[in-house]
Amino acid sequence: MENFTNSVVLPENLPEIEPGKFTGLNRKFLTILYVRILIVFLILAGGLIAFVSLAEETISGKFIYLIAGAILLIIAYSAVITTLGFPKKGYLIREKDVSFQRGLITYRVTSVPLNRIQHVEVNQGVLAKMLQLSSVKIYTAGGTSSDLTIPGLSEPEALKLKAFLSGKISEHE
Amino acid sequence: MSSIDLTTPTRQSVRGLILIFLFSFQKFVRAFWPLFLVLIFQNNIFQNQRVIYLTILVFVVLLAAHTILYYLNFYFYVAGDEFILKKGYLRKQTLSVPLERIQSVNTRQNLIQQLLEVVTLEIDTAGTVGKELKIHALSKAYSNALQERLQTKRSTKKLTEETTAEETQKAKEETLLHLSPADLLRIGISQNHIRAGLVIIAFGLQLFNQVQDVFQEQADKYSSEFIEFMSQSNWALITFMVIFFLLVSILFSLLRTVLKYFDFKLLKKPETYRIESGLLNKRNVIIPHQKVQELNWETGPLKRIFGIYNLIFKQAVSGQNRHQQQQLVDAPGCLTHHLEKLKHDLFGEDKLAEVPRIYSDNFYFRRLWLLFGWIPVILASPFFYSEWIFRGAALVWLPAAAGYCYLIIKKRYFRVNNHQIRISKGAISHKWEQMELHKIQAVEFKQSIFQKRRSLASLDLMNASGTITIPFIDEKIAKQLYNYLLYHTEISRKGWM
Repeated sequence: MENFTNSVVLPENLPEIEPGKFTGLNRKFLTILYVRILIVFLILAGGLIAFVSLAEETISGKFIYLIAGAILLIIAYSAVITTLGFPKKGYLIREKDVSFQRGLITYRVTSVPLNRIQHVEVNQGVLAKMLQLSSVKIYTAGGTSSDLTIPGLSEPEALKLKAFLSGKISEHE
Repeated sequence: MSSIDLTTPTRQSVRGLILIFLFSFQKFVRAFWPLFLVLIFQNNIFQNQRVIYLTILVFVVLLAAHTILYYLNFYFYVAGDEFILKKGYLRKQTLSVPLERIQSVNTRQNLIQQLLEVVTLEIDTAGTVGKELKIHALSKAYSNALQERLQTKRSTKKLTEETTAEETQKAKEETLLHLSPADLLRIGISQNHIRAGLVIIAFGLQLFNQVQDVFQEQADKYSSEFIEFMSQSNWALITFMVIFFLLVSILFSLLRTVLKYFDFKLLKKPETYRIESGLLNKRNVIIPHQKVQELNWETGPLKRIFGIYNLIFKQAVSGQNRHQQQQLVDAPGCLTHHLEKLKHDLFGEDKLAEVPRIYSDNFYFRRLWLLFGWIPVILASPFFYSEWIFRGAALVWLPAAAGYCYLIIKKRYFRVNNHQIRISKGAISHKWEQMELHKIQAVEFKQSIFQKRRSLASLDLMNASGTITIPFIDEKIAKQLYNYLLYHTEISRKGWM
C-alpha cells in the first residue's frame, strides 16, 4: 500500500488556491450566527422547562442539572467554535472560478468553475435585512451538494458579485 | 420519417381515457384507503345497501367527469424549438421546455398500458428547472416520433454535414446484451440478500404500522403474543427462522429481478444506448453517450462466482427525482467483455490501467475502525458490568470490525490521468466509479485537524449525477489534483452534457 507519491503525472505549477487570499465575511454576519445559536438555546431550554413542568412524576434534580449542563456545554462549544471559526470563512473570486472556505475543526474549500454556473441568486433573511447583509447562492447542475452559498456579504458587495457572475454565465453560453 | 405531425396540438390516445380513469381511481384509493377500511369495518354507516350503491355511483360519475375533463384539456405539441404541454381544467397549466434542455425521453408501459397499446412518456429536463413532464397515455407511434425528434435535435448539431439526421435514425441498432432466463436466475441469486431482507422488513413494518392504526386492539394482542413466543424460543428455532428468512429474501430478490429485467436488452446506436426491459412494467430508456456523467460497475462475492457485473449509467438529473432516475439506467449481468466494450465506447482506450493506484492512507483505517468498532463498544460499555455476554460480544465485535475496515481500505484507491478518473471502493462487494474530468461541476477539499497533523486530506468531486469521494490521501496530491481539476474544467471546451 506504500506505492504512492511521485506517480501522479499532473502538471506541476498550476495556479494554487491560497487560503490567505480569501476575502473575509462582513463582521456583522457574526451577529447573525450568534442569534442562531441563541435561538437553538431558547428552543432547547424551553423544551427542558416544558418537559420538567409537564412531566407527571417528579424528576430528580440531578437529572435536570445533567441535561441543563449538557445544553449549556453544547451552546458554549458552538459559541466558541463560531467565534474562532469566523476568520476562516471567506470567499475568493478568480478569473475562472469562485471558491468559498470555512471550518475550524474540519477545514473545507469548495470551488466552482465559472463555466459550470447555472444561475446566481441573492438572498436576504429578516435579520440580514436589518443588518443590511445578503448572501449569494451559486447554482450548478450538480444538485444541492455542489451549490455554493456565500453568506455575510454587504448588500452592495452581494449585488456586485451577482452582476459579475451573471456576466460570466452569459459569456459561457 | 413518420407521418405524425408533431407541431399540431395533440391529445392523448382515446384509449387512454380508461387509463386516466384507473390512475385517478388508484390515486384516490391510495390516499384514502385507511378511511375505507374504517368505514367498512364500522359497518353501522353502511347498514343500508342503497347507500353503498349510491355512494359508489356518485364516486364513479365524479371520477368519470374528472377523467373526461382532464383528457379534453390535456394536449401537447412542438412549437419552434420548444415542447409545450397544456393541462388542467380548474387550474390551467402550461409547461414549456426548450428542446435542447431536454435530458432524456423515456417510456414505460405497465400491464394495462401494454393491453391498451399506449405508453407513459417521461421527459426529463436538465439542471435546476427540474420540472418533470409526463404523458401517461400516448400512442406508441406518436411516442416514437417524438422520441426521435427530441433525440435527433441534439445530435444533429454535433454530427458532420454528410451524415444527415435521416441516416442516423436508420443506423442499425446493435444488441450488446440480451438477458436470458438463465441470466436472470444468476442475477437474482447474486443480489444483495441482506439489503433485500431489510427492504422486506421495512415494508412489513410500514404495513404493520398502517394496519395498526386501524386495528389497534388486535395488533396489540398479536405483538405481545409474538414477543412472548420469541422469548420462549430456543436456538434451533432461531436458526430455522434465519434460514427461512434467507429463503424468503432470495425468492424476493428473484421475483424482483424477473419483474424488472425480464427480456432485458441493451442496444447500441451511434452515440446512444437504449435499454428495454420489464415484465409487467416495460421501460424503454435512451442514454446518449455525452449525457452519461459517470459509469459505475460493481461485483460481489456471489456475482464474482458467475463473473458478472452490475453496471449503472449515471446521468444528470434534477434534484428531486435523482434517486428514481438512477434506478432506471442499470444493466445487470454484464460479463467482462460487455463491461470492456461499454467502457471503450464511453471513455475510449483504457489508459488508466497504466497509471499506478493511489491508495487512501492507513490512517483512514484507524478512523473507520474508531467509527465502526470502538464507538459502538464504548457506547455499550455501561452494560459490561452487568452482563458477561456484552463483554464477550465486544471482544468479538472489535476484531470483526477491524477485518471489515481492512477490506474497505484494501479496496479504496483511485487512478487518475489527464482526462479521466476511476475510483475503487467497497468492503465485501467491489465497486468502481469512472468519470471524465471535464464533467466536474464543483470540487471540495476537506481537511480535519487530525488529517492536517498527518498531512492528509479528502477530496469531493461533484458532477451532475452525484459526488465522487477520495478520502484520506496525501495533502500534496490532493492539492495538486484539486488545482488540476479546476484547470482542466476551466479550459475544457467539451460540454458536460
